[in-house]
Amino acid sequence: MVSSSRVFRAVVLALRVALGAVFVYAAWTKLRQPWELFAMSIDAYKVLPYWAVVVEARTLPWAELLIGLALMAGRWLRVSAGAASLLLLMFFVLMVRTYGKGMAIDCGCFGLGDPISPRTLLRDGSLLAGCLFLTWTSFRGRRRAA
Amino acid sequence: MKLFALALATLLPCLAAASDADSGKVLGSPSAPIRIEVFSDFECPACKALHEQLLPLIMRDYVIPGKVFLVSREFPLPMHAYSREAANYATAAARLGKYQQVADTLFLNQTTWEVNGKVWDTVADVLTPAEAKKVQLLAKDPSVLSEVQRDVDAGRAAGINQTPTMFVSRGTSRFPIAGATNYNLLRSLLDGLLK
Repeated sequence: MVSSSRVFRAVVLALRVALGAVFVYAAWTKLRQPWELFAMSIDAYKVLPYWAVVVEARTLPWAELLIGLALMAGRWLRVSAGAASLLLLMFFVLMVRTYGKGMAIDCGCFGLGDPISPRTLLRDGSLLAGCLFLTWTSFRGRRRAA
Repeated sequence: MKLFALALATLLPCLAAASDADSGKVLGSPSAPIRIEVFSDFECPACKALHEQLLPLIMRDYVIPGKVFLVSREFPLPMHAYSREAANYATAAARLGKYQQVADTLFLNQTTWEVNGKVWDTVADVLTPAEAKKVQLLAKDPSVLSEVQRDVDAGRAAGINQTPTMFVSRGTSRFPIAGATNYNLLRSLLDGLLK
């Protein structure tokens, strides 16, 4: 009989790899296109000044790629899961705010043509919940080890 | 708008339709390295902003110097009561070479006709009586109606979910840009594609 701790570890592993793949895919959809297109998506939220839009558009996809690879490889798990949670929390708050204000814009999460809707909110909310759970398990594991 | 009219006059000799575009709705040289297709709705405020603020800059910096070929497409949204009618009149006017003038006046007076519904009065203001008569007839012509519908179908097929949406193409690369756009970012994109 399979012990519950083995099932738990398998679930965490599957979640970690899946979330890592999502981050790598999100990075790929942005990096394969000119950076200005992602910058336009960020600018549409109307929360950042122009210089910050440019900096974010040029750096965020690389950060997503690093986080995704680290999650998939299981390296620096507390840092990568924590960073993923923070990023997703930021995206989710922005998307809820934008949707609440009735702004019809693309979310910019996975390239172009993905307007903010209840579906995108549910998707990003689920990813956020998964990342928060992963972050919790990574710190819980450390406490137990200590 | 003066810039638009000047550009139109300057470019009239080299105006030529791309195989799938109405010759009355294009600006610039078809051999320009970049092609921009703009899908818009005459009743949409963001389309008005794009037409009045962004397009004159694109005209000045890219279309007149021969770097961009600009194609206007109709995408009247079902939620707008008069935008299909406006698109029909504009497309009819394009047959007489009056598309830009009609588009200019429709966007300029958008807040008036979208309330009172007097689309024709707005259009007729920029036409001579003879042109007005022709446009009124053409606006009911099946070929004009089907041209507008073709644009709508092309937009739907391309996955458009809001107006304005621009498609910037160079060679086999095609990038959609939805909604209001920062000109600095668009300029950076176009300059990058031109390198």
